[in-house]
Amino acid sequence: METYLEAEGLTKYFDGVAAVEDVSFVIRRKEIFGLLGPNGAGKTTTIRMLSTVLAPDAGDVCVGGHSVVREGDEVRKRIGICPQELALYPELSAVDNLVFFGRMAGLSGREATARARAVLAGVGLEARGNEVVKKYSGGMQRRVNIGIALMNRPELLFLDEPTVGIDPQSRNHIFETVLALRAEGTTVLYTTHYMEEADRLCDRIGVMDRGRIVAVDTPAELKRQVGDPDQTTLEEVFLHLTGRSLRD
Amino acid sequence: MGRAFHLARFELRRYLAHRSDLAFGIALPVVLFSLMMVALGSDATFRGVMHVADLDGGFLANRILERVEHAGGVAVRRYTQDEFADALERTAISTGFVIPPGFSASVESGAPASIIVKSRGSGSDEGRFVTGIVQGALRAAASEIELRRVAGALAGESANDARLDEAVQRALAGAPTRPPVVVVTESMRVREASQLDRLLAGIVVMFLLFSGTLGARALIEERRTGTLERLMTTRLSAGELFVGKLLAGIGRMVLQSFVLLGLAFAVLGMAGPVVFLQCLVLAIVVAAAVTAIGLVIAAVARTEEQAAFSAVVLTMFMSVFGGTFLPTSGTGWLDVLARFTLNKYATDAFVALFGEAATLADQGAELVILGAVAILGLAAARKMFRVSSSAV
Repeated sequence: METYLEAEGLTKYFDGVAAVEDVSFVIRRKEIFGLLGPNGAGKTTTIRMLSTVLAPDAGDVCVGGHSVVREGDEVRKRIGICPQELALYPELSAVDNLVFFGRMAGLSGREATARARAVLAGVGLEARGNEVVKKYSGGMQRRVNIGIALMNRPELLFLDEPTVGIDPQSRNHIFETVLALRAEGTTVLYTTHYMEEADRLCDRIGVMDRGRIVAVDTPAELKRQVGDPDQTTLEEVFLHLTGRSLRD
Repeated sequence: MGRAFHLARFELRRYLAHRSDLAFGIALPVVLFSLMMVALGSDATFRGVMHVADLDGGFLANRILERVEHAGGVAVRRYTQDEFADALERTAISTGFVIPPGFSASVESGAPASIIVKSRGSGSDEGRFVTGIVQGALRAAASEIELRRVAGALAGESANDARLDEAVQRALAGAPTRPPVVVVTESMRVREASQLDRLLAGIVVMFLLFSGTLGARALIEERRTGTLERLMTTRLSAGELFVGKLLAGIGRMVLQSFVLLGLAFAVLGMAGPVVFLQCLVLAIVVAAAVTAIGLVIAAVARTEEQAAFSAVVLTMFMSVFGGTFLPTSGTGWLDVLARFTLNKYATDAFVALFGEAATLADQGAELVILGAVAILGLAAARKMFRVSSSAV
């Protein structure tokens, strides 16, 4: 499969401490790539570098043929970000949020409005799009959070723990949305602490620990490295690779 | 730049959706100004009180007090000797008058007599005005007494008091009210800035400053909630972000100014739409400078609490030392300190416009300084800006 994202030697220091060190991996076009790791492993810092928010201290990333270091605007045209936090404006409606971020992504007013309606339908909120977001349930807000990332029809979608704190129905809806996006040709980078979620969705998984990539493979191959793939869970693989000690 | 304008429009919509922001930014200054107007009175003519202990109670003392009351603008409040001493002691009054016992009799007999002015320290402006009015009344009363004496001397022993008094009053009524030589003062039609004008300017500038600097919190809140980081992964550049925020700040504050100035112009009867428009243009420049300072605070502060603290301290410092409510000209070191505040230039320019003595073109220096603060502040904020305050 064609490589869509290639990270090479990514490194980032904060106050002299390496948050991410010499991270290299590739994500293939139209695949769902899971990035797993304990708290503080460097996942979010890595995503910030991949999405042009943070400049790496060393290394580079090529997204769709463009360097995040030298061609940030070209990269931003191609990506959509759904952060862990509900990064939206709760005092405004879902439509207003979507249209605003659509305009910021470069859509015209008419395009943004039409796209917002389509996205709302996609995340199951078309009937309540004009209500203010703060009146939504946690699951609905999460779906708006994802919807914003879809406004510019991204070729690469970053989903950073999109299912935290929501009910099984909303979680299932998000899974279906992600799988549908892949079917449409979107490449997805997905982070989560729920191992069964990663097992179910991801084509390949990279495991990070202490700022480094410690393993990259398909869920089945990762399990095989630890034991019988039919008997071993991804959580066991994860604990095997990152240890059982508590993290800050 | 289209994205910057769209961002500014969106920010204004968010502002209008926040009732607490609206209450603070628009309703509070309107209420504050209304209260001050009620307290000070919107009428600029002088009104004072003559606090007096009339220990004489004679004909002449009464005549003087009547004259003071008829002079207009001054009410006479009478005290007993003890009440007077107590009021002066408690600082309930700063300037008062004592008409000593036997005052009228002394004057009528031709003996020297005096009214005693008592004041705490140098007294007050009101006390000095009232003293001047009392002195005028005394001079008029002295003329009347002199006239009575002359008339009495001419009439000899045959004249009775009632007839003499009647004749004197008739003579006074028929006397020319205009002296043979007068000084005519002609002044240009200028509405001089009153204390209320300065208060209005002070309130407008102070709330613009509060609004702009506290707006820094909003940017930090966006950093905390992640919307700022999300915005920076769109095609919006950091430059567009800051220009958009600046435009939004200007729009928000012009809306505030429009309401407050509109109310003040309507109530105070300030000059027409040209002055109003000039004030709005000035408000735009002040808003740009204030918003730029707010953006610098947002770029430097790491938390919303830090931003709020910095904003309040800065605003209070500039309001207190910038001549927001009292002029600082000629106050030595305070005047020097005031030159380092935005308030001095903004308030002075507003006061000058309110007084009709100046146009916006006369405020060139103030506009240049405020504009420079806006440009330099924007550049500094952009330079110091970080999308994220954490290293997660």
